[in-house]
Amino acid sequence: MLTVKKSQQKFIKLLALFIAIAIPWVLGGIYIYNTTTHTEHVPIKLVNYEVDTVAKVDHSKFKILQQDFDSPQQITEACLSCHNKTDQEVMATSHWKWAKPYIKDNGDTIMLGKKNIVNNFCIGTKSNEKLCSSCHIGYGWKDMNAKFDDSRNIDCIVCHDQSGIYKKATGDYGLPAKEELVICGIASHPFDYKKVLRSIGKPQRHNCGACHYVGGGGNNVKHGDLEMALNKTSRKVDVHMGMNSANMGCIECHKTKRHDIKGNLYSIASANKNRVSCEECHTEAPHKNPILNEHTDRIACQTCHIPEFAKVNPTKMYWDWSTAGKFNPDGSMMMKKDSAGAMTYHTKKGSFIWKKNVKPEYIWSNGEARHYIMGDKIDPTKTVHLNYFLGNYTDKNSKIIPVKRFTGKQIYDAKNNYMIIPHLFGKDTTSYWLNFDWNKAAKTGMAEVGLPYSGKFGFVSTQMDWPVNHMVAPREESLTCTECHSRNGRLAKVTDFYLPGRDYNNLLDVTGVIMILLSLLGVIIHATLRIIKK
Amino acid sequence: MKKKTYIYRGFERFWHWNQALLIFFLAFTGFEVHGAYHIIGFQHAVQLHNIAAWALLVLIVFAIFWHFVTGEWKQYIPTTKFIKEQISYYITGIFKGAPHPTHKTIYNKFNPLQRLIYLGLKLLVLPVQVITGFIYLFYVYPNNPGHVFGLSTIAVIHTFGAFTLLAFVIAHVYLTTTGDTPLSSIKAMITGWEVIDIDEKEERMQNLQKAVDESVAGYYRLDLNGTILDVNDAWLEMYKCKDRSKVVGKHYAVTRDKKNLTELDDLVAKVLNGEIITGIPVTRKCFDGSTGKHLLSANPVFEDGEIVGLGGFILDISEAEKLNEHMTFAVRNSGAGYYRLDENGVIVDVNEAWLKLYKFDSKDEVIGHHFELTRKPSEVGKLEESFKKVMAGETISGVIAERRCKDGSTGKHILSANPIYIGNKIVGMEGFILDITKLNDTN
Repeated sequence: MLTVKKSQQKFIKLLALFIAIAIPWVLGGIYIYNTTTHTEHVPIKLVNYEVDTVAKVDHSKFKILQQDFDSPQQITEACLSCHNKTDQEVMATSHWKWAKPYIKDNGDTIMLGKKNIVNNFCIGTKSNEKLCSSCHIGYGWKDMNAKFDDSRNIDCIVCHDQSGIYKKATGDYGLPAKEELVICGIASHPFDYKKVLRSIGKPQRHNCGACHYVGGGGNNVKHGDLEMALNKTSRKVDVHMGMNSANMGCIECHKTKRHDIKGNLYSIASANKNRVSCEECHTEAPHKNPILNEHTDRIACQTCHIPEFAKVNPTKMYWDWSTAGKFNPDGSMMMKKDSAGAMTYHTKKGSFIWKKNVKPEYIWSNGEARHYIMGDKIDPTKTVHLNYFLGNYTDKNSKIIPVKRFTGKQIYDAKNNYMIIPHLFGKDTTSYWLNFDWNKAAKTGMAEVGLPYSGKFGFVSTQMDWPVNHMVAPREESLTCTECHSRNGRLAKVTDFYLPGRDYNNLLDVTGVIMILLSLLGVIIHATLRIIKK
Repeated sequence: MKKKTYIYRGFERFWHWNQALLIFFLAFTGFEVHGAYHIIGFQHAVQLHNIAAWALLVLIVFAIFWHFVTGEWKQYIPTTKFIKEQISYYITGIFKGAPHPTHKTIYNKFNPLQRLIYLGLKLLVLPVQVITGFIYLFYVYPNNPGHVFGLSTIAVIHTFGAFTLLAFVIAHVYLTTTGDTPLSSIKAMITGWEVIDIDEKEERMQNLQKAVDESVAGYYRLDLNGTILDVNDAWLEMYKCKDRSKVVGKHYAVTRDKKNLTELDDLVAKVLNGEIITGIPVTRKCFDGSTGKHLLSANPVFEDGEIVGLGGFILDISEAEKLNEHMTFAVRNSGAGYYRLDENGVIVDVNEAWLKLYKFDSKDEVIGHHFELTRKPSEVGKLEESFKKVMAGETISGVIAERRCKDGSTGKHILSANPIYIGNKIVGMEGFILDITKLNDTN
């Protein structure tokens, strides 16, 4: 009896010890279970967000808009007859001026914008204004060096048409077609102004998209995250714009004050000003998990929440101008398409690479960018960065952002070692797309730029970074930790800091593993000897 | 000597096993954070690692508290004694079946290697891990004000600590198998009980301590100035004092009447000079004003070869003394003669009545002489016989004996005799004599 009692007591004591050890673990487990699961039920934190969907004015009621118009400028006059002074607002914006102040490395401030910048798509507007100003919010901007300040030339309709039928003609200085017109193989049609004017309202996606979807000469060529598919899209493609989610328009985020629209495009912009930020509505601590909120210090929201872009249609990733000018044996222009139907070669433009569902590149950015300015010397043996971002790990204002890195080869002056803007478009004897002579195109283009052309050209590798801000994924598809916190993760190239999970000291790891192996070996040898000697 | 001993207490085992689990858990999640493998995912690894880190910190705080409160921290004091022997035991001795060079006892749980390694863990590896870990946890980004070293330095140190701990765990787990049986050490860490050596010295100290605490003998200790440092319960009882604080910190003068104080002063001076006093009867003054008698022993207390005070015991003799006094009084005043002999038959004591009967004038004339003195040569044999009987343990009463007085005359008396015991040893004989000469004469 007594021994039974004693062994029972012993058992109870051991059980008590076991329970005492187990309790903290069970509590810890419950805590973790409660904090890590069910996150999908956490409501999204929003501040300062309101959508005003009620139309304030019905433009179809205005008599002045019901008359017959001979020219689009007459329409603008009609608009300004009520919205007088609005012309001043519009003409103060970069949408009108196509330029913003830019401080060069030497401290000089210049006006920099579409009218004088270089990119690695269609290269530059100089000498190609007739085509390029198809995307200007004015009518008939022919000479970008001359004054352009007649308010009747403001194209109000392109942004405010809600009928969907208004369209500027392709390649006619931003004017809509008066009659049936084919330029560069693209047809433009006249349309019923009365129908357009009855629909006037707040800009919608298709208004912005008319230009911003098709930059670079086709849908989704430039951005990769802005394209026609966004007009009617789903939550899966873009949580904000999805018809089955928030269904927000562009100006819900790109808030507009006196026609000045918030937002920067760093292919042109350079200053950390007037930017749209996710934090405006989502705050800097939008996550339930505090560790994730710590990330917002130095990681842009887009980095994790836009795992990939070009989710519906492919985007152009590479453009090699040096291969342009090849013809079919029959003398016709050569065109090649890939299996998905995207153009991979065109006699006029050279070779392309298109990609879909692209993972972005990642760079540091403090919101400031620098650009190649016409006349800057280049090193043709290296890739020329036509734009690049400032920022690094030690700069506390820098965040890691996702970008679309667009590379290519384009023409440069091989003697003067600077970039060339060639004359591409025009019914004349020097335009490349008609004459296919780089020398002539370079000469005309550089004459417009105002820089000497040596007569010798070459092709240099170039690169541009386009920040990716759209096509925000549903939260369940945002990046998991290991996408970056792993040996060959997405941030493998951003190496100026220690990233847990990615970085390690090789010497230490080797030493450590050897230490462990030696311990094990020692134990095994010692144990074996003990057993044998026994 | 070996004995099944309760060596690891409850909290110690709770702490040990939870720390072990946490270290395994931290290593598992930590190396996932390090990128060594992908099992539970980086996010879970980080979250769990952080929570476990907090848990370990709490556990360590409790453990530090426990070590100080129980005094167990002393187990980790490093020693070089036997360290060579311990190393050579693990390298060679263990294979030859040699005995452990050091003995595990409850007062010395760890061998010198263990002491060194565990102390290194507690003072170096774990603090480094905790400190670098919490810098890692709160470092966040370089705009944090705590940004000093750069995360990579912190991470490298932290990782190195992890490797060190892992190597320790391997060796530690293996070395647990080197006990009496391969599993005895692990079993001990689970149940708390292990068959280990008894530290006889410590054991004795403990028993002595207990004996002093619970003894009926009063114990006291004084410093050089005569201030009482400590007394036990028996001492307090003898002095009829209920509050130890009334005694401790006071000068010993409170324990004596003025007239008896000088005697004690002398004693204290002697002992502080290095003498040892073994049992002197003294009179104490109790705290209720009464007096009592006790036997006092005192010996100097040494520290590093220097006398720093004195201590000793007191044994109450008030009752015995009283009894003795009555007896002495009775014997002294009785008409019966009293005598006492030592084991050799030498007279040690006699009373006045005895001297009268034998017609001696003073005790000095008889004390120190053999009992032959009291008999005619023809009668000595009889007494010799009685003496032998008593020394063998018998008690004699009513024997008629013929004495020889100082002047050579004789007389008759009835003699009683009984042995004197000290402990269970007979050390002499004593008894009474009643004169019957006159009676005889009358008869």
